[in-house]
Amino acid sequence: MTVLRNNARVLRYAFTSAMADMRATYTWKSWTFAWLARILCQVTLFALIGKLLGSPEQVEYLVVGNSVFIVADIVMMVCATTAWERLAGTLPLLVSCPSTPFVVFAGRSVQWLVDGLACSTVSLLLLAPVLGVSLPLGAALTAVPMIAVISVSVYFFGLTLAGLALRVMKARNLVGRLGSIGLMVLTGVQVPVTFWPVPVQYMSNVLPLTHGLHAVREHLHGAPLPRVLALLSLEVAVGTAWTVIAFFTYRRLVNSGRHDGTIEFGG
Amino acid sequence: MTAVEVRHLRRTYTRRKKEPRTALDDLNLVVETGEVHGLLGPNGAGKTTLCKILSTVLLPTSGTARVDGFDVVEQTDEVRRAVGIVFGGERGLYTRLTARQNLLYWSALYRQPTKVGRKRVEELLERLGLQERADEPVETFSRGMKQRLHLARGLVGTPRVLILDEPTVGMDPVAARDFRALVVELRGEGHSILLTTHDMAEAEELCDRVSLMDGGRLIATEDPKTIGSWLSRFERVRAEGVSPELAARLRDLPGVAAVESRGDQIVVEVEEAGATGEALRLLVEAGVTSLATTRPTLEEVYLQAIGDRGLGVR
Amino acid sequence: MIALFWASVRFQLQVLRRSPDYLMAVVTIPLLAIAFLAIMKNAGRADLAPYAVLGSTLMTVWATALFVSGELIESERTQGTLEGVLAAPVQYQVLVLGRISIVTVLSFFGLAESIVVAWLVFGYLIAVPHLGLLLLTLLCTAFAMVGTASIMAGLFVLARSARIFQNSLSYPFYVLGGTVVPIALLPGWLQPVSKIVFLSWASDLLRDCLAPTPPRDVLFRLTMILVLGAVAFAIGHLLTKKILRRVRQTGSAGYA
Repeated sequence: MTVLRNNARVLRYAFTSAMADMRATYTWKSWTFAWLARILCQVTLFALIGKLLGSPEQVEYLVVGNSVFIVADIVMMVCATTAWERLAGTLPLLVSCPSTPFVVFAGRSVQWLVDGLACSTVSLLLLAPVLGVSLPLGAALTAVPMIAVISVSVYFFGLTLAGLALRVMKARNLVGRLGSIGLMVLTGVQVPVTFWPVPVQYMSNVLPLTHGLHAVREHLHGAPLPRVLALLSLEVAVGTAWTVIAFFTYRRLVNSGRHDGTIEFGG
Repeated sequence: MTAVEVRHLRRTYTRRKKEPRTALDDLNLVVETGEVHGLLGPNGAGKTTLCKILSTVLLPTSGTARVDGFDVVEQTDEVRRAVGIVFGGERGLYTRLTARQNLLYWSALYRQPTKVGRKRVEELLERLGLQERADEPVETFSRGMKQRLHLARGLVGTPRVLILDEPTVGMDPVAARDFRALVVELRGEGHSILLTTHDMAEAEELCDRVSLMDGGRLIATEDPKTIGSWLSRFERVRAEGVSPELAARLRDLPGVAAVESRGDQIVVEVEEAGATGEALRLLVEAGVTSLATTRPTLEEVYLQAIGDRGLGVR
Repeated sequence: MIALFWASVRFQLQVLRRSPDYLMAVVTIPLLAIAFLAIMKNAGRADLAPYAVLGSTLMTVWATALFVSGELIESERTQGTLEGVLAAPVQYQVLVLGRISIVTVLSFFGLAESIVVAWLVFGYLIAVPHLGLLLLTLLCTAFAMVGTASIMAGLFVLARSARIFQNSLSYPFYVLGGTVVPIALLPGWLQPVSKIVFLSWASDLLRDCLAPTPPRDVLFRLTMILVLGAVAFAIGHLLTKKILRRVRQTGSAGYA
């Protein structure tokens, strides 16, 4: 129990620090008029592509897909912010303190979950109608907690990639970008997963977002609850698997760092 | 119980396409509880490697190291609770967070109950003179303030053993003086401290004992005053245009260790206080006017004092 | 001045070799192209493949110029060399332009990349019926892009939180610049706004270069790209002057 309580406290303070980081980056004004506006333009661009294709179904598919993808896109920034620890020189201090690095890192970038969920929600609830996609309000509202589930599973996938980025610092932004564009292409955001050849579909099935987004789409089309929950629990399963992988990634990072002396001190 | 006990510690780094580099070579070192122990040596002596091993950031290749009685390989969790680290320079802080946010965060990471942690953080802010600006982002702090915050961060987990790795590097003289005063206070409170530095004056001021390291080995552990006296004893006289027979007379002077010629220059190595004056008198009487006296570097003194190698070897 | 320009080009090439982030967009462009092409193919609109190819290229060119101009200023700032560079007895603008130019020119290779991806992944052969005009348009586009980047670089020096700007100048301009979707499909009230974005003229003309029918009003449209580019250079120049004046008065380039 004390272990749980300790880790919960670490998470809480890491979260507080993460939010303080966020406040240091954005004011309400700059978040709304610069950041959110940019995000909404991203969804709009894809809605326009739907319009270009001349099909209202395409517009709806792209608006829903890209609105939900926003959360993943933003959450993947965990790669960049995790790498900041190494840039700030705090990595050796984290390793040498009695808390598990995985727990610390898991808490340090939580701001993106909040940010991503907020942007996705605004996009789905407010922007979609403007773009001519009318979603049933009740279903759209209940889709928000589903997006929250997606955000968490993507987060642990992102943390795993961030663990890799900590090893190749030069390519830290690249790792994150490739991760998020990869998700955009493969998980049914722009085209259904079944569009791709079967071997690629295998990959889609173990990536976060795939099943969760599927669940959101079905839910918005009025699918029965058990069906939606089944899809959502697949997303949870994938997310859990990535959590375990992330845990071992950080353990290995620390262990191999202690072996080969790559955890630099001071500076 | 000893604060730090290092036995036959060895650490090598494997390098791509190169011979492995030995950073620590059969190192033995004891830091007694309540002692401020200085670790003095040139860059590359292995000081930081030792600090890394003691703070569980690096594994030894062989040998053992114990901190507060716990083994750094087998009992990492206990070691991590017992030890606090502070290193010099600007890095290691979350610059966009405030000083208080930084400390509260680390207090949670050192597994302190919330109430205890808050109290501890307030104490430290007060004590290190950061109270007034505790809620400002660290990026607005001066170098000296950042370093005090570093120290507060190292103390937040109430460590029994404190490792200070070149904490005053890059500080201005005033900030460094204040920082040293804090270290003196901490010693008074019974913290065991391992302090690495390459500043002899700093070691002399702060440490109960000083260990000299070079090339990954411990050369000696001494009272800092002893080492200070070595420094003032050894001197070196350089002169130009000295005849061979004058050089021979210099060599015969009591207190002169060696006379070497380098091109048209000679170097007289003096190893006793007072002998320098005698050597200079001889040179001036012989009409030599191109003269200079210098003190050897710290590293050269270690070698001269401890080994039987002459100063000219390096 | 020419020598200085080339010196900065060489310098930037050396930087590029050591920091892959600068060319990130060039690495991610195939994936972006795949995403767009997949949408077109899924909707059975193979005829729109050129839109996908050009769209991903123009987005990449824009994103790269944006990233580089922001990164240049930011790294000078963190290294504390910004004031020094600004105060150096050479024209700062020439220096920045040299460094931005080379990255912009390199990023145009994204077009070749996208064409290859369209062929390899989807079997689409992108025909280029008006090659000469395409190259000429690309050249004009590069000119206008560098001019626009000089405005960005100036803004990044002046603005306190450059990074937020940098992030949010991407998608709004992809929409306004008609990168993937022609601005004719934008709501009517937005269209005049996009007309002052050089990218909208460039993307329309580039799309026409890939269409079988010969483009119309070529001269006028090329002139528009060049004029908007020249205006951008002028604004960039004014911004630089303003910055230099501030450095002389306050000794500091930014607010930070």
